[in-house]
Amino acid sequence: MLAGGVFLAALVIAPSHAAAPTLVGKDAPDFVLRAIDGRNLRLSEYRGQVVLVNFWARWEGDTREQMHALDRINTTYQRAGLVVLGISVDEDVRRAREYADAMAVSYPILFDNGSNLGKDYMLQKMPVTILVDRAGVVRYSVVGFKRGDERGYLDQIRELLRE
Amino acid sequence: MCGAFLSAFTAAAPAPGPDDVTPPSADAAPAGVKTLDQEVQGLKKDVIDLNKDLFVLQEELLFPANTQVAVYISMDVGAFFALDSVQVKIDNKEVKNYLYTAREADALLKGGVQEIYLGNLKVGKHELVAFFTGKGPMTRDYKRGATMTFDKGVGAKYLELKITDRVPKHQPEFLIKDWE
Repeated sequence: MLAGGVFLAALVIAPSHAAAPTLVGKDAPDFVLRAIDGRNLRLSEYRGQVVLVNFWARWEGDTREQMHALDRINTTYQRAGLVVLGISVDEDVRRAREYADAMAVSYPILFDNGSNLGKDYMLQKMPVTILVDRAGVVRYSVVGFKRGDERGYLDQIRELLRE
Repeated sequence: MCGAFLSAFTAAAPAPGPDDVTPPSADAAPAGVKTLDQEVQGLKKDVIDLNKDLFVLQEELLFPANTQVAVYISMDVGAFFALDSVQVKIDNKEVKNYLYTAREADALLKGGVQEIYLGNLKVGKHELVAFFTGKGPMTRDYKRGATMTFDKGVGAKYLELKITDRVPKHQPEFLIKDWE
């Protein structure tokens, strides 16, 4: 009875941020998307640098806080070779653009143009944050965001920048 | 007789002198290491050759010559047009929509030729339509199309989308060329 109770408790106290392990260890699927400033940016052109890709949607409550956190990370680590890319998966591109304009972050915001990105990256829940190493391999993948998670990002970023 | 045998044995095996010291496998060790390195290099080359053969075989299986159609894109000087994207339709069906990064557009300007589409078509008449989007003269938004009807025969068909500068009119020109 006690063992069953402990087992049930373990099931209930599940981690709030499940990893998406299926892409970890595999080459990051390439994509080219238009950025808010009109440039076209291709992931594979950043080979040799560490890339943090953040898939976001404006309807997710934690998006604003996460974008502020990523903005600070970008400002600090850009010169060390980190590239941060934010990708909106919002179908209403106009409203997503307005949201991104209002956030005014320092890293490029890209807009998914109905490509296979969702399928390629197995996006089921937002936000999803992925770290790609210098060889283009996905090393970390995290679904969701809550305050303080950026500390985990920093540990992982530093590790990859040291490689 | 025993003494003759003994003296013959002694003569055959000269006693080693104090200076006559051969280093143990001094030549054998480096040769052994070199051979292993050569083997590894040989294996790497075999893997590369095999990979190449597999790629060629895959292309031949997926896009056999009798149905293969390839569309390439090239760009001239580019003084009048900065390429942003190309959309290719064959028989009114979109087969490619390609966004160009600054680096890719630059590569085209430097003389690169890109294979933008590789597919299969049946023998007969087909229509290719290409739309080019970018910045035209005076950095205005620019979108132009080009169309070509072609005959697909039994061999592979190669078409080239050419973006050139029409200097007298200070305008870009978009052509489709058949590599017959």
